[in-house]
Amino acid sequence: VTRVRRPSPQTLAVVQALAEDPDRWRYGYDLCTELGVQAGSMYPILIRLADRGLLETSWETEHVPGRPARHLYRLTGAGRAFVAAMTPAGTRVAAAKAAASISAGAPRRGRPQFGGA
Amino acid sequence: MPVVVLGVLLGLIGLMVRRPGRNGSDLPSHIVAAATNRLPAGRQEWGQAMLAELTHIPDRGRRWRFTIGVLRVTMFPPVRHRGRVLVAASVALALAVTATLSAAHAVPSLAVFVAVLGLLLCGYTTVVAARAPRPPRTVAYLLVCVVALGGLAATVTTVVQIAGAHPSATTDHTHVFSVLLALIISGYLAAALTPRRTMRHARAVLWWALAATATAGTVWIVIALTTSTTAGGVTGLISPVGIAATLAASIGAAATGRDTAAGTRAGVLTAILTAPIHFAVTMTTFVHMRHWTLTDPYDIAAYPHSGYPDIASYLLGDILGGNIIAGLIFYPVIALVVARIGAAIGTGRPGSSTRRIAPVAR
Repeated sequence: VTRVRRPSPQTLAVVQALAEDPDRWRYGYDLCTELGVQAGSMYPILIRLADRGLLETSWETEHVPGRPARHLYRLTGAGRAFVAAMTPAGTRVAAAKAAASISAGAPRRGRPQFGGA
Repeated sequence: MPVVVLGVLLGLIGLMVRRPGRNGSDLPSHIVAAATNRLPAGRQEWGQAMLAELTHIPDRGRRWRFTIGVLRVTMFPPVRHRGRVLVAASVALALAVTATLSAAHAVPSLAVFVAVLGLLLCGYTTVVAARAPRPPRTVAYLLVCVVALGGLAATVTTVVQIAGAHPSATTDHTHVFSVLLALIISGYLAAALTPRRTMRHARAVLWWALAATATAGTVWIVIALTTSTTAGGVTGLISPVGIAATLAASIGAAATGRDTAAGTRAGVLTAILTAPIHFAVTMTTFVHMRHWTLTDPYDIAAYPHSGYPDIASYLLGDILGGNIIAGLIFYPVIALVVARIGAAIGTGRPGSSTRRIAPVAR
């Protein structure tokens, strides 16, 4: 039996912020200032999201003289699906799908496993 | 006078905090660079990410807040194996509690020391389990681990020996020395055992430090066995042998790698490894002394009002405190200066630094 943990409110805030414009790459510190989350909380959240395949990371390609390239983040396909499932509307849809799959005799599929932050 | 020293120290710290360094680098960037260098190999990219992000934060206050956050991440990076960390922390805590209870029963004067040391080692074990580092599997690194653990064990055994033979010598009503000793020896252990990923010429550093430590340890043991100790004047708490070993290791490692950083690291590692050995050898020598006499006029006047039951306890307590402050706390500071000088001599480039900043991982 796999224990599924509900993500923390901060984690939900981060994924929702990333989901607002899912194609846009975001900086870590910008997310900190936007959400009022300290770096000590933000980076563990980003690391866990990346570990679970919900977050895509990349390095800036535009070179700013005298400054190192910055790390960029955006949701993966799985991350977007996760956000959809986590929002109230998404939860209702997921519940309806789960109910439909049970009534159709299909095997149950759990939510993406999440360790929490 | 202490107020002046404190003022100067605070002023220097203030200058370090405010003044940007060469290339625009300031204290937060140095702290973040040092902290992220110690991240586990699997998290190095995140360390580079946080370091790069800091360069884009202009406001000083925000830079410091970001740095504190980075320190938190580097101390306790997200773990992949929670179960393993919980098991390690639980076992370490159980051992610490057992040791404290045993100490409270057998050697009550050391209960606080054992409790603090146990908790610190428990914390260190938890951090190591959480970070899951991949230590270098080399003979030299294993030997360093053995020597560091042996030094810690020797120090604790010596203090327990003193507490057993002269309990009032280890009575510490303020608990300051108990906490200081626990902090310093657990810090030595952590410093010796934590592998530095970016350290260049690691083999030369480790082997030079081991050779210097073995030589110094042998000399101290020979001196302890062949000469008679007198408690009248406390023998050098900061040993010239230790300083010579530090100097030799730093010169040797710096000359081998043509690298001042490697030389400094070898010298500091030598000091970290030799200090507990010197402490244990010196204090063991004193514990086994049979005849104690007061020769210093101050001691002769102070002893009757000191409350100690005998001269041995009075002098041992004094020597123990002096050895903790001079031999374990001040010694590494002096050794760092000596190591820097040795490294400069070894490379023939006084004041030069060959430190490199790791390239940004892509």
